[in-house]
Amino acid sequence: MSRDYPLGTIRTEQVWKRFRADQQRMLLRDRVEQAARRLRGDRGEDWRWALRDVNLHIEPGESVGLIGSNGSGKSTLLKMLTRVMYPYAGVIDVRGRIGALIEIRAGIHPDLTGRENIYLFGALLGLKRREVAGRFDDIVEFARLGGAIDRQVKFYSSGMQMRLGFAVAAYLEPHVLLVDEVLAVGDAVFQQRCLDRMREVAEQGTTIVFVSHDLPAVQSICRRGVWLEQGTVRVDAGIKDALAGYRDSIEAQSEASARVGEPLQLLKYEVRGEDGDDTTLHTDEPVTVELTLGGDYRGDATLHLGVSEGTSSPIFQISHEIRLTGGDHRVACVIPRLPLPRGRYTLWTGVYSIGKTDGGTLMSWHSAGQFDVFGPMLDTPPRAVVMAAPVFVPHQWED
Amino acid sequence: MGGQRAQVIDEQQGRAAPPGAPAPVGPPPELVFKRRLRPVQVAHELWAARELVRALAERDLRARYKQAVLGFAWAVLTPLALCAIFTLVFHRAVKIETGAAPYTLFAYVGLIVWQFFSNTMNQGALSLANNLSLLNKVYCPREVFPLATMLVATVDMVIGVGVLGLMFLVFWTAPAATFLWAVPLLAVQFAFTYGVALILSVAVVYLRDVRHLLPIITQMGVFATPVAYPLAKIPHRLQEVYVGVNPLGAVIEGYRKALLYGEAPDARMTLIAAASSLVFLVGGYLVFKKLETGIADVA
Repeated sequence: MSRDYPLGTIRTEQVWKRFRADQQRMLLRDRVEQAARRLRGDRGEDWRWALRDVNLHIEPGESVGLIGSNGSGKSTLLKMLTRVMYPYAGVIDVRGRIGALIEIRAGIHPDLTGRENIYLFGALLGLKRREVAGRFDDIVEFARLGGAIDRQVKFYSSGMQMRLGFAVAAYLEPHVLLVDEVLAVGDAVFQQRCLDRMREVAEQGTTIVFVSHDLPAVQSICRRGVWLEQGTVRVDAGIKDALAGYRDSIEAQSEASARVGEPLQLLKYEVRGEDGDDTTLHTDEPVTVELTLGGDYRGDATLHLGVSEGTSSPIFQISHEIRLTGGDHRVACVIPRLPLPRGRYTLWTGVYSIGKTDGGTLMSWHSAGQFDVFGPMLDTPPRAVVMAAPVFVPHQWED
Repeated sequence: MGGQRAQVIDEQQGRAAPPGAPAPVGPPPELVFKRRLRPVQVAHELWAARELVRALAERDLRARYKQAVLGFAWAVLTPLALCAIFTLVFHRAVKIETGAAPYTLFAYVGLIVWQFFSNTMNQGALSLANNLSLLNKVYCPREVFPLATMLVATVDMVIGVGVLGLMFLVFWTAPAATFLWAVPLLAVQFAFTYGVALILSVAVVYLRDVRHLLPIITQMGVFATPVAYPLAKIPHRLQEVYVGVNPLGAVIEGYRKALLYGEAPDARMTLIAAASSLVFLVGGYLVFKKLETGIADVA
């Protein structure tokens, strides 16, 4: 029989989950058709695996980031951890009280006041009325609801609703806190307070599983990363390694999409250091980016260059006006001191026309390829502090 | 939740799946998840959720009356209006014989039971479908949703019983001393009603058509159940079968005997109704628990 695991342990053993790929409607008519097909011996069932053989063992107090592209099974796994969904096969065991933050506003009833909702939500999460009352002031304080607490929730702004939801779940002191992509609604200040609260909860020994596409936020909270791909665990490692692998794979995918039929093509690109034969790039040293564009277009245009790390939004972007005369066009840009720390980055580029058809796309913004930078690692920020972009700033300390 | 299956797991297995390894087509059949119901655990879980049942019922009551000007008066007005119609039609026109008891009281006793059943059935059947966004996000034993609607209907019933007390005053009669018989009858009434609500609530999630059946059941049920007439109107040899299918018939008849006529309820009929209710309750619960596991997949 199973061992007795301490509260806050999460185990999944050989978990499989499938969904019907053919199921769309739920009318009696469809069921009758389905039954008729089955009678003829044609089962007509089409299943799609959402999760395949997922094994995880998470100790109490661990903070795990669940990452992966859309449809990789992250939310399905999280739903099964909350016991909302059941696996097709395997064992799922979550010990202790679960606080789940999955689409926060779902649990809130619009016709009730904030106060009534807090008690309802508390009851849903398994708390006694007395326990909710004990934390009531903390919740209201954290959600910054003030006098709105006795107003019907349908008159709240969406930000207020999400603050209410987060505050209730975050102050319930669960053994396991599952968070799925909920922080996106709040403003910057509230997001930071949520992350702070998650850090506090983590330090009190609560197990955290955090699902988000906001990779820097995941990195700021989690120590361990689990990268799901097409329903299987691709990497289960330290958060940095998991994120690095995941970023590499997204960038590899975005490169693969070729643009055809545009007036300009990127024929060649090169990112090199300035040190003669040594083409490796070093932090805070000069770098040359050289592009060769091909196409028949004549006229003025703006060339944009950007650098990103695993996301579509660049760390920095620079642009330059060029005159195209038809035929191949070579352009080089020198960055005297490269502001990037050690890592793998993606080079993005795009060309847009100037003049009559201002802003017409000559070559759409796309990733040209990847390059590696050697140099110092960035210093680690305090937990729950999200770094927007990894930029190296030359600095000197004095004591 | 599971977790009881003995299974030796290689710790390394979860750490890193080698990229490019051929993925198996499906899980080994012995691992396929099966729902196991342990009555003690189920009961414990339901008891732990009592606060939630109360909170949900409170939510429904508050939400219902927040927008209604007349508030709780609606819980009284609906059965009173029906009672007035029944008195006109069945008492004056059809001339139903109710012996020593005034017809209005006779009909109102039936209406309280029927109103309780139809409220629970109509609201309970939609209780899962209306709360899908909730129960796809937060775990709780799902049977609390129909249970909460039954609690709401119970509140309405209590108000209805209060009105019944006033009617006793108006007609200047007192409930018979045998009224304590109402307690076991109440248990039968609750068991049957909850069983039906359980089955319908989960059926609506899987088959949306079922919600169109509800008004039909409600309309036909009020006449197919001895609400406006005594159980004796049903042919004698069919009565036992009838009570087996619709235990409410025996329940209503029992209440009338206990409250209005000062007799004990018919033991045979009551026992048949009790057995049938138990089948509805247990069967409904098993069906509910079986289908519950798939709710998040289809909704």
